[in-house]
Amino acid sequence: MKKIYCNLDTCLACKTCELACALAHSESKDLESAIKESPKPKQRIRLQKTAKGPVYLLQCRHCEEPACILACMSAAMSKDPKTGLVRVDEKKCVGCGMCVMACPYGALIIDDEKKISLKCDHCIMLLEKIGKKEAACVAACPTKTLVFCEFDDLKNQFAPKKLTGY
Amino acid sequence: MKYLIIGNCAAGIHALEAIREVDKTGRVTVVSDEPFPAYCRCLISYYLAGTRTEADLEMRPKGHYNLMNVNTILGKRAVKIDFKNRMVILDDDRRLDFDKLLIATGASAKPLGAEGENLKGCFKFRTIEDTRNIIEMCKETKDAVVLGGGLIGLKAAYGLKKRGLNVKIIIKSGQVMSQIVDKGGAEIIKRQFEKNGVEILTGLAAKKIFGNGKVHGAELDNGQSVKCEIIIIGKGVDSNLDLVKNTEIKTHWGILSNNKMETNIKDIFAAGDVAETIDLATGEPTINALWSAAAEQGRIAGFNMAGKPRIYEGSCAENAVEFFGLPVISLGIHRPQGEGFQEVISNQPEKFRYKKLVFKQNRLAGVVIVGDFKNAGVFLSLIKSKADVSGIKDILMEDSFDYSKMKDIIPKKKEGVLITTTIDAKEIFG
Repeated sequence: MKKIYCNLDTCLACKTCELACALAHSESKDLESAIKESPKPKQRIRLQKTAKGPVYLLQCRHCEEPACILACMSAAMSKDPKTGLVRVDEKKCVGCGMCVMACPYGALIIDDEKKISLKCDHCIMLLEKIGKKEAACVAACPTKTLVFCEFDDLKNQFAPKKLTGY
Repeated sequence: MKYLIIGNCAAGIHALEAIREVDKTGRVTVVSDEPFPAYCRCLISYYLAGTRTEADLEMRPKGHYNLMNVNTILGKRAVKIDFKNRMVILDDDRRLDFDKLLIATGASAKPLGAEGENLKGCFKFRTIEDTRNIIEMCKETKDAVVLGGGLIGLKAAYGLKKRGLNVKIIIKSGQVMSQIVDKGGAEIIKRQFEKNGVEILTGLAAKKIFGNGKVHGAELDNGQSVKCEIIIIGKGVDSNLDLVKNTEIKTHWGILSNNKMETNIKDIFAAGDVAETIDLATGEPTINALWSAAAEQGRIAGFNMAGKPRIYEGSCAENAVEFFGLPVISLGIHRPQGEGFQEVISNQPEKFRYKKLVFKQNRLAGVVIVGDFKNAGVFLSLIKSKADVSGIKDILMEDSFDYSKMKDIIPKKKEGVLITTTIDAKEIFG
């Protein structure tokens, strides 16, 4: 499946992706209105700083065997058999935290206002409804550090040794 | 191929889905003594609280069994295994043949073992039916008592309080959640309940339940009486072993399962709350009666039954729970006993925050965190993979700790292992 990958060598840690992510998941999709929304729109992609200094980009990997789905006691987590996308059904989610506990990457968080689990959904709503071609973070990245592609196509995107994670 | 699954909860459903991923045509039959389609058992506290309806508890959409091409026999109990003829006999004398059998009979709530526990108004809290009956009773009730301060007891108390009842929790040990949280963390959880109007009495047990046909109250072992119309018994669970008792299937606390989730009898598998496996944190055989463990074991059993080899490395005590908005995480060994352990604690009771890490030599053995869910899975992955954390011990306690700080020390996933303990090379590279 296509996933979001990051070339950390060109990442400036500007956090434009985080902002774009929160905006894409806001009600209004408009920055000026979105910052006044309650509950606040929240990002599902996060920049982390590694122990050695460089940044590391973290979002859901849409694993082949997702631990979050097995741990989800409300059956809110599921993997789309066609696209491979791991999604959370916000109506079923009770915010119990089991998926957060299961994800070995720490890619999930609980929205402390809405009490539901938040995760990267590849902006599927945007893609389906507005007909965009890529997730908001990828589209917004000013240095083209983020790409949305198949794993096997990565070598066309970056030199392999520069690929330090995604 | 004829597959038979006894049990229709986390392990059973995940097993049948795994079987169907591999084998689209084999005959699959699911038997359960509960008359409902599979439901999310852990959500009964939300049903009790009134924040979820019974319909919300359904684990799979309507028509799922049809889609999976599965034969269901619900509301019937499997009573005997005929090993010679490879059949399971149900309580209506029906005989079901199998090539591969999964025993996922789960567990049942333990009885109190005191006088009066059969009075009307005295409940266990395990099934939809229990919850229905409690909710019905709540309509004419003001005061409730919960016996037991473990997960079941606290979740029941939470649900009853949300329904507007006066709730008292009576706990035999000196603290809440003594099985999964240490004293420091428990103190904060207790205060959270008290802040939300639930009374907690520790160091006390119910000697008997009194009433006249109906519950009127409980008499405690210090002579004190508490009046109430509802009593919920939350004393833990026992594996449902009736089906295999006095048979050739080996049991201890539960059914002994190997790393394929197979029992000592070929082609007979066990998964979920009835299965005893190796604990990854302690190395000892145990039953971690958890939704996540049951689901993973069921899935692995399903794959192995269908001929796709998958290895189960073991279970781990792993709990995430939230009470009145307070997150609680408990992983692995929370109260170390024996030599070679080291504990690091950060306690901020005024902020309702507590964090304890337990190390055994150079690896992480246990975690208790109250007040925050963040990165719990990263800690769990460190425990399960037995990673050498000696280089990052200091930063593990910091709030800024996250996956990026430990990604290089997690061992790579081994061949055949399903998930969770280690990272898949394809998911992380570089």
